[in-house]
Amino acid sequence: MLRRKIAGALAAGLAAATLLTACGGDDAADGPVTLKVLTWEPGGTEYWAQVKTAFEAGHPDIRLDMEAVPFDRYPEVQGPYITSQSGPDVMANNAGLELFDRRGAYEPLGERAAEINKDLVTYSGACEGFDTSKPCYGVPFSYQGNVLYYNKSVLTAAGLDPENPPATWADFAAACDAVKKSGKTCLALGLSGTFPAYWDFPEIARNYLTEDDIRGLLAGTLSWTDPKLVSSLEKLAEITTSGWTNSNAPSITMLPDGADIFQRGDAAFAGTIISDAVNWEAFGKALGDDNLGVTRWPVINPDAPLAQKFSGIEGAVYGVTKWSEKKQAGLEFISWLAGKENGELWVRYGKGQPLNSTVDKALLPTSPSFLKIQEFVAQPTLHAGVMLSGPETDALARGWQQVTLGQLTVDKWAEQMQQALERSPTKRQGR
Amino acid sequence: MTRRSAVRAGRYLLTFVLVVVAVAAIYPLLFTIVSSLKTQGGFAQDPLGLPTSVTFGNYVEAFNRMNMPRLLLNSLIATLGGLVLSVLAALLAAYAVTKLRFRGGKLVFLLIIVTLTIPSQAIIYPLYQTVLDLGMSGQYQGLILAFAAFGLPLGTYQLAGYFQQVPDELIEAARVDGAGHFTILFRLLTPIAAPALSALGIFNFVWMWNDLLLPLVIMGGSDRKTLMVGVSLLTGQYDVSVPLVSAGLIVALLPVLIIYLVFQRQLVSGALAGSGK
Amino acid sequence: MSISTAPVAKTDPTTATPGPSARAAIRTARVRQWWLAAALVFPAVALAVTFKFVPLGRGVATSLESSSGFDGTSFAGADNYTRMLDDPMVLTSFRNALMVVATLPVWVVLPLVLALLIHQRTPGWKLFRAVYFIPYTIAPIVVGIMFRQILAPDGPLNAGLRAVGLDPLATEWLNGRYSALFSLVAVALWSFFGLGVMTYLAGLATIPGEVLEAAYLDGAGFWRRLVSVVVPMLRPTVAYWTVLCASGVLIWLFPLIYALTQGGPGDATMLPEYLVFLTTFQFLDRGYGSAIGVALFVFVALISVFSVRHMFKEGTRKA
Repeated sequence: MLRRKIAGALAAGLAAATLLTACGGDDAADGPVTLKVLTWEPGGTEYWAQVKTAFEAGHPDIRLDMEAVPFDRYPEVQGPYITSQSGPDVMANNAGLELFDRRGAYEPLGERAAEINKDLVTYSGACEGFDTSKPCYGVPFSYQGNVLYYNKSVLTAAGLDPENPPATWADFAAACDAVKKSGKTCLALGLSGTFPAYWDFPEIARNYLTEDDIRGLLAGTLSWTDPKLVSSLEKLAEITTSGWTNSNAPSITMLPDGADIFQRGDAAFAGTIISDAVNWEAFGKALGDDNLGVTRWPVINPDAPLAQKFSGIEGAVYGVTKWSEKKQAGLEFISWLAGKENGELWVRYGKGQPLNSTVDKALLPTSPSFLKIQEFVAQPTLHAGVMLSGPETDALARGWQQVTLGQLTVDKWAEQMQQALERSPTKRQGR
Repeated sequence: MTRRSAVRAGRYLLTFVLVVVAVAAIYPLLFTIVSSLKTQGGFAQDPLGLPTSVTFGNYVEAFNRMNMPRLLLNSLIATLGGLVLSVLAALLAAYAVTKLRFRGGKLVFLLIIVTLTIPSQAIIYPLYQTVLDLGMSGQYQGLILAFAAFGLPLGTYQLAGYFQQVPDELIEAARVDGAGHFTILFRLLTPIAAPALSALGIFNFVWMWNDLLLPLVIMGGSDRKTLMVGVSLLTGQYDVSVPLVSAGLIVALLPVLIIYLVFQRQLVSGALAGSGK
Repeated sequence: MSISTAPVAKTDPTTATPGPSARAAIRTARVRQWWLAAALVFPAVALAVTFKFVPLGRGVATSLESSSGFDGTSFAGADNYTRMLDDPMVLTSFRNALMVVATLPVWVVLPLVLALLIHQRTPGWKLFRAVYFIPYTIAPIVVGIMFRQILAPDGPLNAGLRAVGLDPLATEWLNGRYSALFSLVAVALWSFFGLGVMTYLAGLATIPGEVLEAAYLDGAGFWRRLVSVVVPMLRPTVAYWTVLCASGVLIWLFPLIYALTQGGPGDATMLPEYLVFLTTFQFLDRGYGSAIGVALFVFVALISVFSVRHMFKEGTRKA
């Protein structure tokens, strides 16, 4: 009983103390301002430690209080902050629908958007409808997108030319037959979770959609029963039903299980991303930079306008929250994120594709795959994956698993996708 | 003699079954330890096999990336606080309900145990709002109180069951000897319930220590986050290094194993059971 | 013995003791007793109300609202509830939950058998006792990663089965419509059986040694004696563990679903608590997520009616 009393008194004391500190200290002139930053540390802990050190060194009046949350639990922490309109001064969300869904939580950059982002290759992913003339909610500094990595020695062993990877869908089918005959898996894949659906769908959809169609996908005006999207789903299904992938694909995850199959040299191809992880850097380390090749996904319709483009998307977007009482300091921080100094930190410690065009070229990696990727990213288009709402992404991933296991037809899948679209609270509202 | 050999054969079979189950039980620990000694590439090469070369780099990196002493302290404060508070509240409530027959006592007991059927996933959002209204978001006491509330129903039920078996005459006798309520509760009843308390202690310690749901929504990513939240931060958006996470988990597991070894002695020693029947 | 009479009436001595001053003294004593009891149960009641009932009430309120992402809410009446009836994912999740609940007898019996075997002081029993508890202490994320490898179509489990000639049993564990759910439950059972063994051992510790020895001594009648002598004495512990499993099994599965299958393939391992999580945090449909949460609460309450009734009797009956 006594212990409980002490605990109670202690708790009351603590509560009072926190209340006091919460009421005091703000944008006050004396002492530095502390910015609370909610992040999942895209690019890794090391990179964010460098960000804190470098920014604080240049801005003695601002301290950064980094509140890091694991990526897969981020919505659980961020959601309550947004509904209660309280919490951090700066937050992050992925560019695309994820950010638009939460735009009510961010202070728009207003007319300063263009000036803040002037050195960035692109920043439309941080703006409404991927349109820079509309409100922008924050700044990106990394670039992300999908490519197909391949293992040169596996191709050679299968009698294929490692310098000329399959460029068309038919070539890819033939290559997979050859790889299978040589006893390896053609495409390393793990369907559990949403990553592969989210990454591979845009690469196929590029053969059927225009940029306007992709904007329609974002607005919820393009129906999933539209032949263009049904064809995309058909081709997505073909990847697994043609036997190009490992047999356990439906029940393993892409990260790390599927990627590990490729890393240990058991598969010829892996469709992953260019920044952060499972990219040229990680695969090059595992398989050797010279043994690693990279190519665009094979083309299905060579005449399609986006067939030869790169589905690129800005990475995490950092914005100032509406409820922050330190908006000025917050704006200063996110403007710095878009700048050259952070761009260089991102290349060095984040091992990712820079979005800032003024980054010192001498800092850029020399890996052949990285250099090849520079050619691809020069022709960007919209990324159809980030246009999908939560229910659509989920239905896309689950449908692919079921189609692979023969439990679902593609037509039924398209119907379910349409139902998911209609269920999505944000898209329902937009239409 | 055929019967004796049958008995012996039965013994062997029994031991064999126990050994098989033991292997299945200990395998994950070995898997975690072995994984933590592999490089990320080494794990990709052969996830289930033994490492070709042993590295302690994952432990070094785990310690570099996590503020281990602080996280450990946070977890200890939250877990021990929640554990002590839930057991104490359960002890008091169980005593009042079983030994102080009072109007409304049954209703109170029902109210407490019925909370067992409220699934945490279903109330997590409003729970956070409530914690926020109380001004306890990001505070130790918010997490401690939430842990205590979630551990309460089972504790109250189990202790009430034990207390119920103690004859009232025993308590009357103690009263006649001049013992107060707290002497009866802590000197007489608590020792009787020692096995139950040990079982409760272990059960609550482990789930509170390993829980991610409550610490995440109540503590967020603040510097008061728990060790398990710190460990799950070792996994990035795309970067999943099983060896690194394994190293973090082995470190996080040590306090749990120590607690278990300490408590399990109490648990099975019949000497403490007293007049449990 | 399980019939409980109203305790107040039973201890009420007023009928036996006349005299106004004595009656007043007794009343004062009773009032004091009531205040003492109220003070003792206060922390528990305050915790239960603040962290369980208030959030539950707010959850029910949210379930009557329609929400569009983060942009405000409007009253929707029972819309979210009627919507569930047409949602195949919701129906599948509750059907799966029923199938999980149907495995409860295994959860109760298996640890009991193991605890009894250990308790016979088999050589090395202390080691077994310590080792069986380990799976419970291993965090779900490791369990998920490990079992995806072990249960793979060409993984070690199937390799082992084929090696001993049990080829027909070597299925694609995590790929099948039903085998995936079965595998998930088996992994959960593996994760929790040590806790059951520990609980039963704690119960066995309260049974006098002579009783057990008499039961164990004769090898031939072992099982018969076990059932007729030991199990009845262990009844409170069996009941406790059953209650724990009945109310806990669905909640325990959540982190394992999260780490192992994410509800897939398709909706094969989708359970209501995971659907609540998905709907609320990934689909941003809080009203609907709350409605599924309330339905889950009703579901758990229904399957726990017997266990709660039992707990109530156990805690309030007169010995």
